[in-house]
Amino acid sequence: MDNHKLPISKINQLFKNKELKPSELYSEVFERAANTESVIHGHLTLFQEENIQKALDADKRYEKGNNIGTLDGIPIAIKDNINISGHATTCSSKMLSNYISPYDATVITRLKNEGVLFTGKTNLDEFAMGSSTENSAYGPTKNPWDSSRVPGGSSGGSAAVVSAGSAVASLGSDTGGSIRQPASFCGVVGFKPTYGTVSRYGLVAFASSLDQIGPITNNVADAKLIFNSMNGHDPLDATSLTESKAQQPKLKNAKIGIIKELMGDGISEDAQQEVHKVAKLMESEGHEVVEVSLPLTKMSISIYYLIAPAECSANLSRFDGVRYGNRVTGNTSSEMMELTRANGFGPEVKKRILLGTYALSAGYYDAYYGQALKARAMMKKEFTDIYNDVDYLISPTTPSDPFKFGEKTDNQLEMYMSDLCTIPANLVGMPAISIPTGLSSQGLPLSVQLMSPANTDNTLLDFSQSLESLVAFSDKPSINGVTN
Amino acid sequence: MSIIPTIGMETHVELKTNSKMFCRCHVLDTDIPNESLCPTCLGLPGSLPVPNKKAIEFITLLALSTNCSITNDGMFHRKNYFYPDLPKNYQISQFDLPVGTEGSLEVVVDGEFGTVEIERVHMEEDTGKSTHMGSGRIDSATSTHLDFNRAGIPLVEVVTKPLIKSSREAVAYIEELRQLVIDLGISEGKLEKGNLRFDANISVAHDGDKELGTKVEIKNMNSLRSLEKAIEYEISRQTKMLLNEENIIQETRHWDEKKEVTTSMRSKEGSADYRYFSDPDIPNMILSDDFVNEVKSSIPVLPSQKRTVFIDSGLSIEDANSLVKSPNWIGDLYKSVSSITNDSKTSFNWITGELQGQLRKLELKSIPSWLTAKNLSEIITLVKENKISFTSGKEILGKLIEEELVPEEYAVNNKLIQENDIDEISKMVKDVLDDNKDVLERISNGEDKLIGFLVGQIIKLSKGKVNPSVAKELLLKELNS
Repeated sequence: MDNHKLPISKINQLFKNKELKPSELYSEVFERAANTESVIHGHLTLFQEENIQKALDADKRYEKGNNIGTLDGIPIAIKDNINISGHATTCSSKMLSNYISPYDATVITRLKNEGVLFTGKTNLDEFAMGSSTENSAYGPTKNPWDSSRVPGGSSGGSAAVVSAGSAVASLGSDTGGSIRQPASFCGVVGFKPTYGTVSRYGLVAFASSLDQIGPITNNVADAKLIFNSMNGHDPLDATSLTESKAQQPKLKNAKIGIIKELMGDGISEDAQQEVHKVAKLMESEGHEVVEVSLPLTKMSISIYYLIAPAECSANLSRFDGVRYGNRVTGNTSSEMMELTRANGFGPEVKKRILLGTYALSAGYYDAYYGQALKARAMMKKEFTDIYNDVDYLISPTTPSDPFKFGEKTDNQLEMYMSDLCTIPANLVGMPAISIPTGLSSQGLPLSVQLMSPANTDNTLLDFSQSLESLVAFSDKPSINGVTN
Repeated sequence: MSIIPTIGMETHVELKTNSKMFCRCHVLDTDIPNESLCPTCLGLPGSLPVPNKKAIEFITLLALSTNCSITNDGMFHRKNYFYPDLPKNYQISQFDLPVGTEGSLEVVVDGEFGTVEIERVHMEEDTGKSTHMGSGRIDSATSTHLDFNRAGIPLVEVVTKPLIKSSREAVAYIEELRQLVIDLGISEGKLEKGNLRFDANISVAHDGDKELGTKVEIKNMNSLRSLEKAIEYEISRQTKMLLNEENIIQETRHWDEKKEVTTSMRSKEGSADYRYFSDPDIPNMILSDDFVNEVKSSIPVLPSQKRTVFIDSGLSIEDANSLVKSPNWIGDLYKSVSSITNDSKTSFNWITGELQGQLRKLELKSIPSWLTAKNLSEIITLVKENKISFTSGKEILGKLIEEELVPEEYAVNNKLIQENDIDEISKMVKDVLDDNKDVLERISNGEDKLIGFLVGQIIKLSKGKVNPSVAKELLLKELNS
């Protein structure tokens, strides 16, 4: 049965026509999970038992005709840094291995109100810090296309389970590409909305000024559906936008800029080819494609690795073993906190906390964090200005197709470079989407990234949808000899 | 060469908002620990702070009332340090862009006006409360109990410039600030409840020195009395050290309430680096001119303005100040009574002395509805015009607190009206003198104290209706003639 691969609107039709029940689809995705999880390890926890009653409730709603909306009864997986009341929120860290959340994130509340069925919590790089899920304290997730390769990260679990078919869609979080990069590696759609459009309340913060929750889906329409079910102002998040007035880019005869700085050194031939291929297709549709230069994008990794660690150094201070999480006892309270943190955090998290603490220290603030803030503001201006000339920007999502486990763990800079194309959208707070468009010479998925001005998310999604049908990418991975 | 102390005060004012600074938890006055908690004030993973508008309004009120310049584009910063009762291990506070800067507060020190200059007024959140068992300090405690009810309660920190010159001025400043926050309605202002908590930075230097001496911070002063004592102790400790050419180190010292000494808590050398940076969870705090003007228009009558009114009515600075620090109804009653009696000092004395004294004895916090400015003024006027004695006035006031009455009627019915007919009294004086020839003899031999005896006899003869001072006056006149 392949219902889980269908677009959500189509599934909803089947539910409404009583050709399929939510509980049947629910069983189907868990069957997929049973067949794939041993290889993929995308989920940290599966909710099959706990939520079966909720699936039966959804059945009844459709039977009685009082179903809620298009997402009613749709099984969706949640990245394990988003709180669901009564369930573990581990952030793939030893620190929180025993932590059960007492509250729902706003996105969870909103999806629950839509009748969404949660399938479980998905694996990630510890506290969302990484690009491969190799930093998970619970073992890495494997790429459904090739289990010797990483699924990307940090939302590697969320991307892999959609690709493998053990969820119809998933939620990820994106701080520097953590939705788009794994979506690209796993051949699915990943969307990072405008900063502030989706509430961060209940998302365990990595870098507060960059984090944004978004959907990972089989197609753009699903991403749009989920995005519009969870966006909108949230009084619990002070950075949540109240209204978003913006001039919308054009859908027809649009002007698209290829970012010159993301097409040269460090970007594989395959990845560049993919952008050119898509550009030609768009031109054939009457769009204009031009090359544009955004010089500061070359600095985005440097800016990002000052701002994100600085924020995370404070955000992760609360994990001290005092009120929750794992505690390692000590002779004094400070020793207890030191041992708890030394024992609970993995090496990448420690590295970033140290980096951020240093960047904020007296005497270094101005040279590092202060400079990064200034550069970020300049970069934002550069992007705002370029959108006076073009409607959208296009680039590869990732510099290359998925890399192998261990390939970049010894070369951290190279690992960080894998987010080169995705980081700018976070730094400027603008929306960006990764759309799978083809396979590399190794038969692995490749994607392009489309970006648009702040608060033009739905237009970007609409434009992406037209591009998606133009490209008509339909390849699926095969796991244990079974193609999804 | 004399030695000059310099004092700066840092005061935390707990605001009386309904909910905490960054979440919807109620601000509870309870002894049950950990009753008012949510993911945000407990620092659970994923929680976010949302600033309390009422608290921002309150701090703006305070900043405007202390003549501060308002920062229109302010910011919240994170102040990073690890402590078990600090849920996020950073405190949301303000750094270089506080709500108010460069203000001042008029104070009354020993009956004279003074001005305390304010450096900044900023907004922050309170920490939880630690109780260290078996020891006063965390590292020697057998266990530490944590109560997070207080965590996240809005605090305003008011920092003065280091220009305060004496313990009395510091006390006067805290008293004035306390009255201000009470009158503004932004804090309970109860010291015993920790609504107002203060630290003092103290240094001493030789008169004429260009630079201030090394600053020592004093903590744990829980009352105005301990504030005064601690500052005096510290000034004398540092003065001795300076005279002995000893090195004063920058440190934090703890006021020991029992021993009445300060003891070293920790050295500031290698002091904490709080790594302040703007909190990315909270957008800039924009205080528009419209908002500021709206708050400005809601400022009630300030203590300093009340004081001016009382002084203009004829009271001394000290008396005016004591009315300012009294409950509002006392000041209002004073205003009404003094306008009827046209005698500010006498009205003040009756209200703050006799009336408040009797109420205190009866453990009453207010006056009955029938006790009005009108009938109180009537008592005061009766006494003033010698129609009744001061003692009778007190008696009538006591009755008036118990039941409704008309003072003059009461005085007449109870035969308290004094004889004021001079001829009548002179006649009584003569009668008494005629009856006490022997006493008169002894007085002329120098036994002056017997004059009082004769006055008593006159009053007795009048059945208490003669004013003693009038009787004495007429008696002396008769004796000298």
